[in-house]
Amino acid sequence: MARHTTGVLSSRDMLRTLYGDFMRTFSNVLFAVLLLLVWGLMTLVGVVVEQGKDPSVYFQSYAAPLARLILRLNFDNIYHAPYYVGIIGLILISLAACTFKRVIPARLPPLRPVNIGKIPLNATVSVRGTEASVRARVEDFFAKRGWQVRKREFGGTEWTFADKHNWARRGVLVAHVGFVIIAAGTTLYWARGFSGDTAIVAGQTVEIPQTHATIKLDRFRYVVEPIMTKTGMVYQPIDYVSHVTVVGKSGVPKNEIIRVNHPINIDGTLYYQASYGFALRLNVTHGGKPVESLSNRLYATGEAFQIPGTQRTVQFSQFVPTIDKQTGQPSSDPRVNDPGVVLSVFDGGRPAGAALVPMRTTVAIGGGWSIEPEGYRMVTGIQYRYDPGAALVGIGAFVLLAGLVISFYLLPARLYVRVDPGVASGGEASRWDVGLAATTVKGYDIFETQFGELVADFQRWLDPRTDPKASTPAPEV
Amino acid sequence: MANYMPLDEVLMVIALASYVVGALALLGYFFTHEAWLKHLGIPLAIAGCAAQFAQLVARYELTHIWPLLNLYGSLSLFAAMSVLLFLIFAFRYKLWFAGGFILAMAALFLAYGVTWNEGVMPAVPSLQSYWAKIHVPLVVSSYSAFMLAFVLSGLYLVKYYFERRLATPAAVPVGAAVGIRNDTPHIAAAAAQGDGTAQWLNTLPSLAQMDVLIYRVVAVGLPLLTLGVITGAMWAHEAWGAYWQWDPKETAALVSWIVYAIYMHLHTRNQWRGLRCAWVSVIGFISIMFCYFGVNLWISGLHSYKM
Ligand code: HEM
Repeated sequence: MARHTTGVLSSRDMLRTLYGDFMRTFSNVLFAVLLLLVWGLMTLVGVVVEQGKDPSVYFQSYAAPLARLILRLNFDNIYHAPYYVGIIGLILISLAACTFKRVIPARLPPLRPVNIGKIPLNATVSVRGTEASVRARVEDFFAKRGWQVRKREFGGTEWTFADKHNWARRGVLVAHVGFVIIAAGTTLYWARGFSGDTAIVAGQTVEIPQTHATIKLDRFRYVVEPIMTKTGMVYQPIDYVSHVTVVGKSGVPKNEIIRVNHPINIDGTLYYQASYGFALRLNVTHGGKPVESLSNRLYATGEAFQIPGTQRTVQFSQFVPTIDKQTGQPSSDPRVNDPGVVLSVFDGGRPAGAALVPMRTTVAIGGGWSIEPEGYRMVTGIQYRYDPGAALVGIGAFVLLAGLVISFYLLPARLYVRVDPGVASGGEASRWDVGLAATTVKGYDIFETQFGELVADFQRWLDPRTDPKASTPAPEV
Repeated sequence: MANYMPLDEVLMVIALASYVVGALALLGYFFTHEAWLKHLGIPLAIAGCAAQFAQLVARYELTHIWPLLNLYGSLSLFAAMSVLLFLIFAFRYKLWFAGGFILAMAALFLAYGVTWNEGVMPAVPSLQSYWAKIHVPLVVSSYSAFMLAFVLSGLYLVKYYFERRLATPAAVPVGAAVGIRNDTPHIAAAAAQGDGTAQWLNTLPSLAQMDVLIYRVVAVGLPLLTLGVITGAMWAHEAWGAYWQWDPKETAALVSWIVYAIYMHLHTRNQWRGLRCAWVSVIGFISIMFCYFGVNLWISGLHSYKM
């Protein structure tokens, strides 16, 4: 029985020790710094290594062993790797531990006497008057300047404590809470939000799978301005506009315009102008006769089709808005003037040739097959996103900011003041030595100048006749 | 037709010239302590800064295009804000000793920016947003604050390591009163004996005071960077449909933010203030420069538009 009890106790003790160790580690600021460092380094990896590319891209850019390492360590998609999310989790745990162990308990330091001479920021001001009047003036001085004044007696000596900006100790808490709110908002998106993209050809309608909203592209328009710069002609995009008809939950069709920086909102999901392109209609003939199955449809850029009965495929590789008349090559002008398309032919999967074919020009590709790019239609790329956490992230960001500002700009400080019979004046009854010492949450150096000014002010207040310059005590050490 | 130089280019030349001469004057002041050099440098810094802001306004008036949306414009603002912040801090905390370095860096960045001047260029659609007018100045101002912190940290480190070099076991210890005021006693002693380097280092504020100055400057930069990242995210939310896409630029900004968050946390510990914080501030500025130029120039942009 006894042994049993001991066993329970010791395992409970063990748990307690473990918990103590855990709290000590996770509430340590240096441990938090270490976590932040690891987070920063991982984030940096994702800046340097291109994210979300096909594995072959890494083998092209890096030596094979390095590429393998990148892929094995998930460096190609680091921000969604479990360990990346994990380190943020650890930071949050550390933040919570530290909040409960350090930040919340760090209220006002207890009111207790100190050895004034031992505190680096200290000064003694000698002043004439009765004890009561000196004490009253001391109190007045701090109260008038917005310090919270309290008095306590210890062993027959009366101490005055003055605090300023004490509430700003909460700044750290506010900043930390802000970070937690941001994390919560992000989690909400992961749990309940979604996003996706879709391409819509002019005249066609798509249904968004998650929302069942339908979007018809009535027209897509883009504006490009040719600009002569010092280094040559630049075609500067000015506007991308999708005219659409949307049907949301209400079932009522509505005409809307989507432009960059001006998304539309259908039942809480936002739709953004993301990209554009061209869809191509081909006229494919065999022996002079149209092949209906290959002709009566639209091809997206990059799409390929197989020539029936052969090993050959033909790919619509690129839309060329303007073919340069002189060179016959694609010009850099993205506006459609003399359009053409690049068609690539593959034989058994291997490239067999490519050609820039002007619109409405027929090319023979052998075996009695001919292809004519017959027409094109504009395509708009729409991104959509439902993010129930966005508001939370926004609120968190501003809470975080408020915390930063409070923590950085307000300096909670405490002054310790005691009044003793003057020693310097040989015990003259009407002289008193007022001893002052200051502590702050950010050390002493940051308060040095203010303390000097405060002491000079204090001296003038206590004894307006003294020349402050002559007797301003430099902080002693 | 007479070929006059446009007003904005005239102002740019004035700004650059003021910075170059001002930098020389204040550097001279730093090394010689000749008061007239300071009195020459300060008005030049003010004149250059004023010319720069006037230049930005003139450019906007002449072109009706928001002038901060390319590297030329943003580098102009970066230089102007750096000098402005420096002036504010210098008037408040007597930082003139750092002025030469700030003006020299401002002149370099500005001159580099001028090489990116492509002439009049309207903004691409994703940049046509009121967010551009909020986000860019915030981010660039934070960079400026970090540059000032970087210069102060550099001076801190020079002074620190010089003191340490002097404090070899053979050196005579000077007094016991090592405290807030005089935390580099060996430099003070060497200065008294006529060592030139020690003499100018001795005129810098104490290490403890410089640490506080760096903290104050970072305390301006970090909230600005935080606001910059937030407004950037809000803009991205409006332009691309996601407030955070792990785009190299925003991610690099996050890295810098983390470095300065580390700085702030280390600074809450007594033993980590000073030397280590100064190093973190230097690393922070390197990460800022990487975010500013590295990402723009070396890492391919994500947001090319066409499908
Ligand atoms: C990335 C998220 C974080 C943010 C934005 C943040 C923000 C801040 C800010 C603004 C301060 C005030 C600094 C000053 O006044 O100079 C602070 C202090 C502090 N932070 Fe954090 N913090 C974060 C993460 C953490 C974590 C994970 C811990 C866990 C231990 C932590 C522990 C502390 C402590 C203990 C202090 C106060 C130190 C003191 O006054 O003695 N922080 N934090």
